[in-house]
Order: sequence, then C-alpha cells, then structure tokens
Amino acid sequence: MTLSIDPHRDVLDHEIVDANGEACGMVDGLQFTHSPPHGRRIAALRVGPGAWLPRLPALLQVIGERLLGRRWVTVPWHHVVEVSEVIRLDVSAGAVGLGRLDRVAARWLQRLPRS
Amino acid sequence: MNKAAELFLGILTAMGGFVEIGELTFTLGAGMHFGYQLLWITALGTVGIMVYCEMAGRVAAVRRRPVFTLIRERNGVATALLTLVAANLVSLLTCAAEIGGVALLWQLASGWPYRALLVGALAFLLVAVWLLPFEWIERVFGLGGLLLIVFVAAVWTLQPDWGDLAAGFVPRMPEVSSQRELLLCAYFGVALLSSIMLPYETYFYAAGGIEDGWSSDDIVTNRVVVVVGFALGALLSVALVALGTEYFGPRGIEPQLPGTAALAPASAFGTLGLVIAMLGLFFAFSGAAIETALSGAYNLAQFAGWPWGKAKRPRAAARFTLSWIAIFCAAMLIVMTGIDPVQVVEYSIILSVVVLPFTYFPVLMVARDKRVMGQHANGMLANTLGWFYLVAITLAALAAVPLFLLTHGGRG
Repeated sequence: MTLSIDPHRDVLDHEIVDANGEACGMVDGLQFTHSPPHGRRIAALRVGPGAWLPRLPALLQVIGERLLGRRWVTVPWHHVVEVSEVIRLDVSAGAVGLGRLDRVAARWLQRLPRS
Repeated sequence: MNKAAELFLGILTAMGGFVEIGELTFTLGAGMHFGYQLLWITALGTVGIMVYCEMAGRVAAVRRRPVFTLIRERNGVATALLTLVAANLVSLLTCAAEIGGVALLWQLASGWPYRALLVGALAFLLVAVWLLPFEWIERVFGLGGLLLIVFVAAVWTLQPDWGDLAAGFVPRMPEVSSQRELLLCAYFGVALLSSIMLPYETYFYAAGGIEDGWSSDDIVTNRVVVVVGFALGALLSVALVALGTEYFGPRGIEPQLPGTAALAPASAFGTLGLVIAMLGLFFAFSGAAIETALSGAYNLAQFAGWPWGKAKRPRAAARFTLSWIAIFCAAMLIVMTGIDPVQVVEYSIILSVVVLPFTYFPVLMVARDKRVMGQHANGMLANTLGWFYLVAITLAALAAVPLFLLTHGGRG
C-alpha cells in the first residue's frame, strides 16, 4: 500500500477488522522499516498489552505489565487492505494470531444454554 | 415495526429509563433541603443530557462509531485508559447501588434477609440479560419504569404552589442563612446535575444505536427520542423535587432508603399507589443496573477492539459477555460487604461528574467535525450548546470533589 497516510493519526489506536468483518483488536503499536528511497514505512501492526503499555507513564507501565503481561501479536502490513475509520485485513483473525482469548472464552461459554 | 411505532416506543423507553437510584436520592434531597430553588439545575441537566446523547447517537448513526472507540482514536491510549478506568469504576459503583436498591425494595416487600436478596437480585439480572434480546431489555425495563408516573400523580394530589414551582426554573442565587448552607446547596446542585447527566446513559445509548442498526436515516428518530423522551423523563425528576419539597420536607422524613420514596404515592393512593411505586422503582433500578453493567462491558470492548454487542450470541462476543457478568458479580460483592447503597450512590455521582468532561469532549469534537460527519455535523445550535455544556460540566467537575469534602458528602 503506497497511499500517503499519517501512521499516528490514521492507523495507531484504530480498530482492526478481519476478513470476516469481525473486530479483532486495536492497533496498539506500529513497527517501522526504513527502505530508501521511500523512507520510513509501516512494516507491521502490533496488537496486545506489550505494544501499548510502553506508551503509558512509567508507573502505569510497571503496574500494567504485572497485571497484563508484555505479549503482543505482530500483523504484517501486507495484510492491510483498507485504512479508513477501521483497519481492514485480508485474513481472518485466527490466521494472524488475533482474538485468541475470545476463542478460549467462547469454548467456556458454549457449554451454557442459549450461548 | 413501522417508524412511528418505533419512535413512540423509543420515547416511552427513554422516559421510563430516565430515573435511577442516584437521581431519586438527589432530587428528593434537593427538594427536601432547598425546596424548588434547585429546580433550574434539573432543567439544565436535562438539556445537557439531551445535547450529549443526541451528538453520541448521531455519530453512532452516521459513522457507527461508539463512544470509547472515539475516545481512544482521538485522545490516544494513555488518556483513554484513564478515562476507561474512571468511567468503569463509576459504572461499577452505580451498578452496585442499583443492585442494593433492588434488594432493599424486595426486603421492604418480603422482610427476607438483605444479603440473600442481593444474591437473588444478581441471579435475576444475570438471567434477564442472558435471555432477553437487546430490544426487549430496553422495552421491559424502560416501559416498566413508566410506572413511576405515579409520583407525578402524587404531586398533583398535593396541589403544590404552581407559581413557586415555576419560579424554580429561573436560575438564581439560593436563599440560604449561612456559608455552610451555601456550600451544601452548591453540593446538591453539582450532584443533581451529575445524577441527570450520567455518562453511562450516553455510552449505552450510542452503543444501543449501533446494536439497533441505526443509519443516517435514523437521525431524526434519534433527535426526537432524545428531546421528547428525556423531556418527559425530566417530568419525573421535577415530580421528585416537588415531593421532596411538599411531602418529605414538611414531615422531616429523610428519604435515605430507596423505598421511602414510595411513601408519598402510598399516602395519596393507598396500597395501590404503594405497589405501583415499588414496581416502578424496581424496574427503574433493575434497568439502570443492566445499563451500567452493559455500559462497562461496551467501554472495555470498544477500548480493546473486541467483538461486542448483545445482538451477537454470547459466545460470538465472549470477552464482552464475560465482562458484563464480571461487572454484575463485582457490583453485588461491593454491596454484600454491607455498605449502604445510598452511600455508594454518593461516591458514584461525584466520580461521575469528574469523568464526564473526558468522555464528552471527544464526542463533541467528532460531532462537529465536517470531514467526519459531512452534512450531519453539528449546526450552530448544537455547537453553541455543545461548547456551553463543556464549560458547565468542566466547572462542575472541578467543584465536585472539594464540595464533597467540605460538606462531608452532603451531611453539612
């Protein structure tokens, strides 16, 4: 994708939607690559507490890491097919490792009637 | 359902869902202590919640963007996280107070032990939200809340001085005898404004618009439901202020227990009045408990980008579902400690007004942005009111905690 976008205004902290139209996280951090002559470009999206905790004040970072851990999932930029109010992917959430906890929780909930 | 029926039902549910335990506490208290002097704050708050919900509903209809997604996009993760924690703490405390209120009503009716009834109230709310579709939650509890009209009828039988009541809508300096009383009056004013402009109502309303599949075609419906429904709902608030002034004040009854409010309809209409008032309060408190628990789950899911919505099957929005279950359980545990639900209300109302500007500002920014909203962006009236209320709620937010401390939580 070679559109002129402002990564921090147009991508960071935007909702990610997978190929099935399901919400599957927020863009919590960005990974950049430097490729002359294009300069700095987005290489991947980072999703998970480990990607947004470093953006908090130091004390909150420490507390947050204790509570939520430091993991994140990396989604290569070539999976992004649309940058609008949402960031749309060309794959399902599961294919790039997103929404894992939702699937775990769903397995528990489906034991209940009318779930 | 055709548009007219949908509109009519929307107005009725907005009206029936207007009053909850915080508003009940502070409207009766304001009337009892200061007569009609703070009635203009009720009008100020009602127009304020109309402005806030209309903007949030319009953004939801046009862009399908809920409140916390906007907060995160506009303010970044650090501010959004702080707002989320504070907003969900308010939702949790309010939910706790509402569950406590339901259990107190049941205790008044049955004489059974309070803690056992708390568990019963939790079970009832969990089953209701699990089984009922979103629109039925709105209808059952919103329309059930309409039974509170019995309070309006009770005021009618008391035949208050209508001139005094009407004069209360004119903003003025309160007639007080000491600085202490002035502070108390200011505290009740801020709390009254906060109890009417509860931010969770807006999160729920905007998320509900998205759940109901609103589009640009629903902008007029949104406006009419908010303006007419909330204006009629405010009638209930005015009636409660009037009952505080005309019934509880002269008798020296401090309506500290939620069920005490039902005394006025009981005096006017006997057992039937009592039963209708208790049922109305039950639906109002239960509806508010459900709204706060769902609002907390909406906020969390929108902040984190999880699938959300009551329209989805629970397992299709698993973390959202677990969130509202967890909020209900945590809220029940808070009141299970034995803390007075009315005291919980006081904390939640004060914290609520402190959070309000942080959630109001991003909604105002998006609603007025022509690049985002196109022809549906705020017009001159919405912008003027929008900025006016931003200033008003910021002043109230700054004053809330000092007033709470100086008046010992309204105890003078």
